[in-house]
Amino acid sequence: MIPDWKVVQDYLEVLEFPELKGIILMQTACQAVQHQRGRRQYNRVRNLLKEARRDCVFFANEFQQHCYLPRGRGEPMEKWQSRSIYRAAVWYHHHCQGRMPIVMVTEDEETIQQYGSETEGVFVISFKSYLDNFWPDLKAAHELCDSILQTRRERESESQESHGKEYPEHLALEVLEAGIKSGRYIQGILNVNKHRAQMEAFVRLQGASSKDSDLASDILIHGMKARNRSIHGDVVAVELLPRDEWKGRTAALCENDNEDKASGESPSEPMPTGKVVGILQKNWRDYVVTFPSKEEVQSQGKNAQKILVTPWDYKIPKIRISTQQAEALQDFRVVVRIDSWEPTSVYPNGHFVRVLGRIRDLEGEIATILVENGISVVPFSEAQMGEMPVNTPESPWKVSPEEELKRRDLRKSHLVFSIDPKGCEDVDDTLSVRTLGNGSLELGVHIADVTHFVTPNSYTDIEARARATTYYLADRRYDMLPSILSADLCSLLGGVDRYAVSVLWELDKTSYEIKNVWYGRTIIRSAYKLFYEAAQELLDGNIRVIEDIPEFKDLDEKRRQAKLEELMWAIGKLTDIARHVRAQRDRCGALELEGVEVRVQLDEKKNIRDLLPKQPLEVHETVAECMILANHWVAKKIWESFPHQALLRQHPPPHQEFFSELRECAKAKGFSIDTRSNKTLADSLDKADDPSDPIVNRLLRAMATQAMSNAQYFSTGSCAEEEFLHYGLALDKYTHFTSPIRRYSDIIVHRLLMAAILKDKKLDVKEQLPSNKDLEELCRHINNRNRAAQHSQKQSTELFQCMYFKDRDPNTEERCTSDGVIYSIRTNGVLVFVPRFGIKGAAYLRNKDGLVISCGPDTHLEWKPGSLQRFQNKITSTTTEGDSVTFHLFDHVTVRVTVQASRCHSDTIRLEIISNKPYMIANTELSHQSPLLLKSEIVKEVTRSVEEAQLAQEVQGNTLQEEYREYCQTKGRSLYALLEEIRDLALLDVSNNYGM
Amino acid sequence: MAGLELLSDQGYRVDGRRAGELRKIQARMGVFAQADGSAYIEQGNTKALAVVYGPHEIRGSRARALPDRALVNCQYSSATFSTGERKRRPHGDRKSCEMGLQLRQTFEAAILTQLHPRSQIDIYVQVLQADGGTYSACVNAATLAVLDAGIPMRDFVCACSAGFVDGTALADLSHVEEAAGGPQLALALLPASGQIALLEMDARLHEDHLERVLETASRAARDVHTLLDRVVRQHVCEASLLLGD
Repeated sequence: MIPDWKVVQDYLEVLEFPELKGIILMQTACQAVQHQRGRRQYNRVRNLLKEARRDCVFFANEFQQHCYLPRGRGEPMEKWQSRSIYRAAVWYHHHCQGRMPIVMVTEDEETIQQYGSETEGVFVISFKSYLDNFWPDLKAAHELCDSILQTRRERESESQESHGKEYPEHLALEVLEAGIKSGRYIQGILNVNKHRAQMEAFVRLQGASSKDSDLASDILIHGMKARNRSIHGDVVAVELLPRDEWKGRTAALCENDNEDKASGESPSEPMPTGKVVGILQKNWRDYVVTFPSKEEVQSQGKNAQKILVTPWDYKIPKIRISTQQAEALQDFRVVVRIDSWEPTSVYPNGHFVRVLGRIRDLEGEIATILVENGISVVPFSEAQMGEMPVNTPESPWKVSPEEELKRRDLRKSHLVFSIDPKGCEDVDDTLSVRTLGNGSLELGVHIADVTHFVTPNSYTDIEARARATTYYLADRRYDMLPSILSADLCSLLGGVDRYAVSVLWELDKTSYEIKNVWYGRTIIRSAYKLFYEAAQELLDGNIRVIEDIPEFKDLDEKRRQAKLEELMWAIGKLTDIARHVRAQRDRCGALELEGVEVRVQLDEKKNIRDLLPKQPLEVHETVAECMILANHWVAKKIWESFPHQALLRQHPPPHQEFFSELRECAKAKGFSIDTRSNKTLADSLDKADDPSDPIVNRLLRAMATQAMSNAQYFSTGSCAEEEFLHYGLALDKYTHFTSPIRRYSDIIVHRLLMAAILKDKKLDVKEQLPSNKDLEELCRHINNRNRAAQHSQKQSTELFQCMYFKDRDPNTEERCTSDGVIYSIRTNGVLVFVPRFGIKGAAYLRNKDGLVISCGPDTHLEWKPGSLQRFQNKITSTTTEGDSVTFHLFDHVTVRVTVQASRCHSDTIRLEIISNKPYMIANTELSHQSPLLLKSEIVKEVTRSVEEAQLAQEVQGNTLQEEYREYCQTKGRSLYALLEEIRDLALLDVSNNYGM
Repeated sequence: MAGLELLSDQGYRVDGRRAGELRKIQARMGVFAQADGSAYIEQGNTKALAVVYGPHEIRGSRARALPDRALVNCQYSSATFSTGERKRRPHGDRKSCEMGLQLRQTFEAAILTQLHPRSQIDIYVQVLQADGGTYSACVNAATLAVLDAGIPMRDFVCACSAGFVDGTALADLSHVEEAAGGPQLALALLPASGQIALLEMDARLHEDHLERVLETASRAARDVHTLLDRVVRQHVCEASLLLGD
């Protein structure tokens, strides 16, 4: 047997089997080993030859006259080696005069084909078939051969172009830039698919390259290998793979799939696929991770110094940390930072930064959410607080005389009032309406004058710019400005003098056409601080509500009546005007996109409790409409004054293909949705209303919202004028002006507006306005922060939902069972919306054991073996016994809400279909009426129980200390407190069982 | 020194020779018509050209003339293209001078100089390609050239190098083997008498091994003699044929 050089290199272990005898090792092969594999392996070859029992022979074929072959011109080394060995084999055959069969073993298919039948008596076969034919009984050799073959294949497939490295090297920056310019590479931002973080990532095209290339969609990056060490959010350069290597994305529900990502394409349809060739900008940040538990550490073995930790975010790969503290940190959420990612390493290297808090502890989890969204909420510093004006009972803040001269005084002339949610502290908008002397109406929107207190580039300004927005979590709030401003001096509270920036419109008495507009700084005194419900009552003419309005309390009957009438007229007029403006906007195609995920409108609201207005009061709309009007006019004003450096807000028209899912869903219910323009979309959404099931319309609207891109801030210098459009509101120009207390963009707009007014008066603009480039940078930052705020808000809500459901046993607790609506069909399950809790989640029709759901006799469902069949708008599960159950889109089902706990990640809500009939219970209607209250109650309850747990601990600690101090004597008060505590707990238990 | 193995387990050297084996030697005499004697030799890839003028009157300063014997003047040069790296100047450097002196010593010992008092014999050697054993190639080429010139000699001078690797003495080192840095010995032998015309070695070698290396070198030199003798005889045959005997 004569092994080829390749065989000697790769299968030496097999050749070393003592059973294999009579091997002729060619000099050519040995030299190849010597040169390519190094001394160690060559020594093994030599040992093989030295062992006398093995009958192994070395043949110096290259020194043999008849065997030597000169290497041909341009002949590859490998070819020549194979040729030489074959020549020697043939020579050997003749040398033995055909008495011995000579087998040449090679792994090269080409060699087999070329020489296979050239000489009689010389067999050229592959190593595998050699073993099969000559040593069929030698099992160990077979196994070894297989394993070698497998590892080699893996290695080859993994590192086709890299030599022993896990990942190919990144290209140099110059090469990348040149490649991007020439169109060879494509620049984009990497987005990892959360649900298939190992396999799928998409590159969203960015910049100029997307315009000239014909790629409409994102580029799929399949597998970690092609992703080449880039992490979610990195700006990468991508090289497209040839078309025959393109892959499709998968549409099946998988583990952790609790969110509905728009994935309308069928799994088979291939999309542009590429591989990352370089990272242009790394987006490494701090990551929250969890250390593996004790058992896992042990299984990781001897390399205990280096520990693989699991990030909280699914999109981030595991990180290798070297630390001694692994055991101590097991139960904590920990912040780490990535240091490097070598091409030779499967995982990135990182280091430990700090501890956040215990796993599953409320504070720890909230801190996790904040860090993951890059939100830093350190308290305001001394320097910042030092800039703040003083307002204490001893030295109350007063309107300064200079300002009084400069500003228009509306304190006497206008009836100004605010309408806000109950308990709101930061009132940044007030309204007024009055009849002018010439009979026209004057509508006024007065916004807190934050820029008066926050001068550009002061410490407070810099801090506010960094925060960019106030963060509202489910149970708390992180202010953008110090509370002295946000809750006091800037807040337009009732009955006190405040600085404001006002927009006053002069409207025609009857047609409400805008005749004139005035912008400027004012001093106002808000007369009433109303809340929405009270305002609505007043609007409806229901005057019982005045009991709730504190401003009316200390007035005598007559004056109260007069004032009340005045207020009621104002609110009525305001609503009238708002209706009119709204109607005008509707004609242009404004969308009404209420639903669980309406972010656009959320910006106009104040608080978490208004996240899901089930039945929005008309007053909501009135206030919102006035704000939209003010924003719109301010946008116009600043754009006219500064056409190249105004900060506006755009909402680009959505891509039509994203609407396909919406259209399909609507079709299932028999509605047709016309998505050609915002006008047609709004009309068809209005029509798509099932009178028997109001949720259908809500879901469709939510879907429409999801198909759209998010609105964002931009600088007018960086866009063409046609792109200024706000699609959702159907306005050509829009900005944010009305909430400077909680949005930094509004502060900028205020400054721009002030500068515009000065410009009109031919005065010098004192302040240095940001240039287009600065503004662009700022817009990007604010947009980022807004996204972070939204994510953290959503995640904290989910956290509370999970905490709410976690302590409840889903099988016994009544509340965990609820009505749900199917709103999307996947291959192995459905996505269900639970209106009662505002939860969206996945429900599997096939469980992990491969069993499918089937319908029992009492409409209850159980798991049985069977198969699933997915159609356009329904999914059928058929058991092996022939029973089948079908779920259609918008079917009502009964679901059980459970929580899937996860150690390293956030817990997720899991839905389980327990019946294919709607959930029927007496209080269904009741809960339908007040799902919002329920949501806020969840928050309250969780917070309270946490607080009480802490309190209980403290009380216990205190009493123990006191007892100790008093020599075991307890005071009556503390005993009372203790009993009170017990009583509270008892109440809590009861409310747990029967509450709501 | 990883990788390269000068002597394999099977006793082969890098170029496939056995330990005591010579490289292929090819030689021609009388390659130039103008010179009194000339020869060209190839030992493997080492190629050398030797030209002999004389004996003739002393050129230049007469003071150099020796009253009792001829003056042997040797010049060694190697072509700029002879080595792997191009040389700056073909002759006149230290190494060439040394080589010239060695050649002179060698041939003063071999040529019967007392037959030509107050005259001069010029031996010019040029190496065209150097692949180890340049000294021996030069000596062998010069021997043939001197013979061609018809200058009486005691005997052939046959030279060969030898090295020592892994307890084995190797004859006729190639460039690769030389470059490996082992001890190297150059021997010029008068084969008939077994007298040593020149022995040169500039590395440390244990005394015990010297005998064996010397033995190998002298055997190789005798082999060279056989070959050279054959060349001379053939040359003489051809010459006599031409003369029409």
